[in-house]
Amino acid sequence: MARYISRRLLLSLVTLWLLATIVFIIANVLPNDVGRTILGPFAPQESVDALNERLGTNRPIFIRYVDTMAGLVTLDFGDSFITGKPVLPDLMAAVARSAKLAGLALFLTIPVAILAGLYAARRRDKLADRGIVLLGVTSSSIPEFVTGTILVVVVGVQLKLLPVLATPPPNADIPTQIRYLLMPATAMAIVYFGYIARMTRSGTIDVLQSDYTRTAAMKGLTTSQTMRRHVLRNALIPTVAVIAVQIGYLFGGIIAVEKIFNYNGMGQTMLFAAQRKDIPTLTAGAIIIGIVYMLATLTSDLIIAWMNPRIRLDSDS
Amino acid sequence: MTDVIVSSKPAGPMAAPPTSERAKARRETLRVLFRRPAFIVGTLIVLGWIVTAALGQRITPYDPFNQFFAGHLPPGSDHLMGTDRLGRDVLSRVMVGSRDVLIVAPLAALLGVVAGTFLGLVMGFYHGMVDNVLSRLVEAFLALPVILVALLTLVVLGSSSVVVILVVGILFTPIVARTVRSAVLSERQLDYVTAARLRGESGLFILSREIFPNVLGPTIVEMTVRFGYAIFTVATLSFLGVGIQPPSPDWGLTVAEEYTNMISGIWWPTLFPALAIASIVIAVNLVADTLQSVTNE
Amino acid sequence: MDNQYDKVRRSTTPLQLDVVEAFARGRLTRREFIQRATVLGLSMGAIGAVIAACGGSTASSAAPVVSTAPGASTAASAAASVPAVAGGTIRVAIQRPAGPVDPIAMLDLGNYGTTAQCFEFLCALDKAGSNITEGLATKWTPNTDGTVWTFDLRQGVKWWGDGKPFTAADVVGTMERLVASGNAGLKGVLGPGGAVAKDDKTVVFTLLGGNGNFPYLVSVFNPQSLITPADYVAGTTLDKRPTGTGAWKLVTFNQATGATYARNDDWWGGKTALDTTEFIYFDTIGPMVTAYQGQQVDALVQFDVLSGKALFDDTNFNVIATEAALHRQIWMRTDKGQFADKRVRQALALTFDRPALIQGLFQGKAQIGNDHPIWPGYPYFDPSIPQRVQNIDKAKALLAEANLTGLTADLHCGQLLEIPDLATLLKSQAAQAGITLNVKVESLDTFYGAWWCPPDPKDPPCSGASELGIVDYGHRATPDVYLNAALKSKGIWNSSQYASPTFDAAFSEFQTSVSVDAQKAACTKLETILNDEVPIGLPYFYNYLAGSSKAFTGIYASALGQMFLSSASKTA
Repeated sequence: MARYISRRLLLSLVTLWLLATIVFIIANVLPNDVGRTILGPFAPQESVDALNERLGTNRPIFIRYVDTMAGLVTLDFGDSFITGKPVLPDLMAAVARSAKLAGLALFLTIPVAILAGLYAARRRDKLADRGIVLLGVTSSSIPEFVTGTILVVVVGVQLKLLPVLATPPPNADIPTQIRYLLMPATAMAIVYFGYIARMTRSGTIDVLQSDYTRTAAMKGLTTSQTMRRHVLRNALIPTVAVIAVQIGYLFGGIIAVEKIFNYNGMGQTMLFAAQRKDIPTLTAGAIIIGIVYMLATLTSDLIIAWMNPRIRLDSDS
Repeated sequence: MTDVIVSSKPAGPMAAPPTSERAKARRETLRVLFRRPAFIVGTLIVLGWIVTAALGQRITPYDPFNQFFAGHLPPGSDHLMGTDRLGRDVLSRVMVGSRDVLIVAPLAALLGVVAGTFLGLVMGFYHGMVDNVLSRLVEAFLALPVILVALLTLVVLGSSSVVVILVVGILFTPIVARTVRSAVLSERQLDYVTAARLRGESGLFILSREIFPNVLGPTIVEMTVRFGYAIFTVATLSFLGVGIQPPSPDWGLTVAEEYTNMISGIWWPTLFPALAIASIVIAVNLVADTLQSVTNE
Repeated sequence: MDNQYDKVRRSTTPLQLDVVEAFARGRLTRREFIQRATVLGLSMGAIGAVIAACGGSTASSAAPVVSTAPGASTAASAAASVPAVAGGTIRVAIQRPAGPVDPIAMLDLGNYGTTAQCFEFLCALDKAGSNITEGLATKWTPNTDGTVWTFDLRQGVKWWGDGKPFTAADVVGTMERLVASGNAGLKGVLGPGGAVAKDDKTVVFTLLGGNGNFPYLVSVFNPQSLITPADYVAGTTLDKRPTGTGAWKLVTFNQATGATYARNDDWWGGKTALDTTEFIYFDTIGPMVTAYQGQQVDALVQFDVLSGKALFDDTNFNVIATEAALHRQIWMRTDKGQFADKRVRQALALTFDRPALIQGLFQGKAQIGNDHPIWPGYPYFDPSIPQRVQNIDKAKALLAEANLTGLTADLHCGQLLEIPDLATLLKSQAAQAGITLNVKVESLDTFYGAWWCPPDPKDPPCSGASELGIVDYGHRATPDVYLNAALKSKGIWNSSQYASPTFDAAFSEFQTSVSVDAQKAACTKLETILNDEVPIGLPYFYNYLAGSSKAFTGIYASALGQMFLSSASKTA
């Protein structure tokens, strides 16, 4: 087990390095003038040159790459080109905001979706099952910016039930924070419901059809006992895998929701950094999202192994 | 929305069946598909939008680009879906708006599937060093959400339809590659592959003649799934302002341009394009979903 | 009455006298007189006396939307008319500062608004939002030809950062820093060592040449000219060294979310009604409007007509609409390409349906433009030049003469506010004359760097510009920047590559004129030349829109993103 974890961590480091390189390449793919982008088109050329000199962005690209990578290895993520302040504290604050929103969204979705998936699987091909599948397909097809907009207008403005800006006042208590995050989390939850419910359903169906389950049924275990003990553990395996893969998206990909609700999560932060060519923030942000993803997949693989010890940890997944 | 590994187990026979049997199996699959209402409804909707996109301005009630009426007229007998902020008929624009997304999204999906299949075949078959290196690269791409990377790249490169197709297609490649790779991995251990090897056939031959036809099934399913994701992604990118550019009547772009007016009670220029997006993604996903469940049985 | 008037005439400097006499002879409207006289340093009392003596002339058609009666003490009257409630806070939605909060180097509206809470100018904004009034300077006087300006400084002002007193040394230090940084407003007007402290309470500015508009350049209308302490190091940001002379102290600052300010109890202007203010940062206007509707902000520093429709219909929202020189220039290359022939440029300008553009894009909240950047709100604007209107037949005829019937061109623009919609409307208007415009919209950064003023070739500037495009210009109190940068030969923002010796000469004349007549004459020349040669199409000057809930009163704002809350209070 320890060997497995350490091997995974080592491989993750390679992946993280690749990730940082990819983002660095994207940010520098076109010849660009970082100083000009930050100061804008109306700034005098002398200020632009001075800024480029100060930031070191007028050096050849290879030197800049080595510099960035060396910094990352020593965990020195550098200072933001925009604020001049260290990158990490502001990024971690953004991560915390994204984590709260993602957490609430998952909390809303997972119980409901899993229950729906199980329910559908047990009533396979009956009306309830068809209905839940249809609901799942529909809800995961509506982009979050659509549901988000409708929620803002109907619930936030017309009915005035919930606040339209997701950022809670500083030092708010937990219930208040939840109130503020409820609408964007719901918009996200609606999309995820579809995936998780369908994944749970198909996983459950596979397990119900497997020889293992039939043997258990023949051994005389009652239906609910069977479900609980054998089926649930195995059925949830693909669900856990799906949730882990979604984590990266929950952190950086829900930028449309962040835009509508003016919530400064990782998505908006990265977009802002890309527009202003704030390369230290971009590379650090990419690494952080990558680390979150690595941890999520590692955790999910460990959970899966615990749920079904028969799945060998080092087989190809 | 992110990219889910769809097939939990690959479908493959113990021995490569002869061609005529494969054709019979395909016909049988089609027959089963057409008995599913979900499949029929989905296909009809998609075909409906394709026809609308193809016919374009010939069937719109008004000129979607150059005819300006009073701004923000509510839906009525003259304008079934009202007019937008500049006074253009919303129904006409929704109809023509299908064109851009139905060109960009399938091309992006196609690029992703073709490149991904090729990559997955190579990775799965030539297991070993090549696979290890490429797997790390694939995983690096998978760690970052597609929308975010696409957004960052488009911000840097500036967006146009061609760039969107390339970016989204390239970002889909690792996901498809992963699916194809796992399908290939289970195939290559099977008897018929060993038999072919023993017969002395070259790797490339085995890959193309023996393995590929058997992974074609999951690949086609993957293609339809990718198509749905592509539309979703392109619509979101257009909403964020880096997808299809104005003055196109693209749906995602229109939502971005008009959604702030919903607060004033002007819901129609936003709701109808949004429903259009939802309808086509739902339709594609219905088709993909039925394909999946039929081929997995 | 006449004695008062004579007293004024005897005590003024020659430049001020010139303005007074111009008004007396009816060469200036009352509004124009107030504006010019204030800039030239006439006190409110003197202005009032002159107006009373001369009975005032008919108001010009270009009167501002909100105006104060001349001579009235603005703060007192505003406070007296609406009962004020003490205490409370206000939440303001503002564009996010695009870069460090550096008062000298900042270039975006988010930063202008953020810094204007803490720092102040020599000449402040008056409550009407369009003129200047006393700020850190209580009086300013030009010499005979406008080459030397003497500013008397306000006494008893303290820096809230360290409690030290405000003196002339602070002003001199600020000016030196601005000149060293190449500040666009002061370039060519003030040189190093141009500002000298005569004593602790007076600063004398010796300019590089006569300039009748100098006070604007050290006022709220030159946003970087905020006065900072003498020992302020260039490059310091407001959050790193919080200080200022203004009504508000910076308490917290977070570039990601917003800033909060608290009352400066030692402010020279008295005790502000509100205790604290909170600025919340947004990236686009849509969420600002939603936030207001959701009652999470009380005021918006800036919004546009298309995103803010809901606000106009809201009976609880007070729209502050200031007529401003904000505009778009549709440049056409005059040196090469399809638009090199003047007739082609005139043809395109003749396809513009200006009233339709103003109605469609701004719901009427804009003033019509005549293809030159002299805004009708400038006192030397000459309205006698015939207004160009849409004339499709003439456009077709001109194109035929120039052998370019069926002209096709790419129209490039950036993704900013209403500009893509403007391009769409222009396209359909031009199509009526057989001109086909292909609209190409890009993100703002890409557009500026690729189509408007590409960095290469460097000389002459902007020589790599596309042959046709639309670019945005913010508000300026004088047209100098527009004329100098965009239209003078080898101007730094001259995307049309317009190079006309006649224009350059007329511009020189305008810059050096200080008397009313000379300024007006030069302006007339400029308008005529530009309207005829059409290097840029300019269909409108749109209003600057800000606003707040009616639960608050006493808010006023400049057209440069600076919202002033020192007189703001909750409505009773």
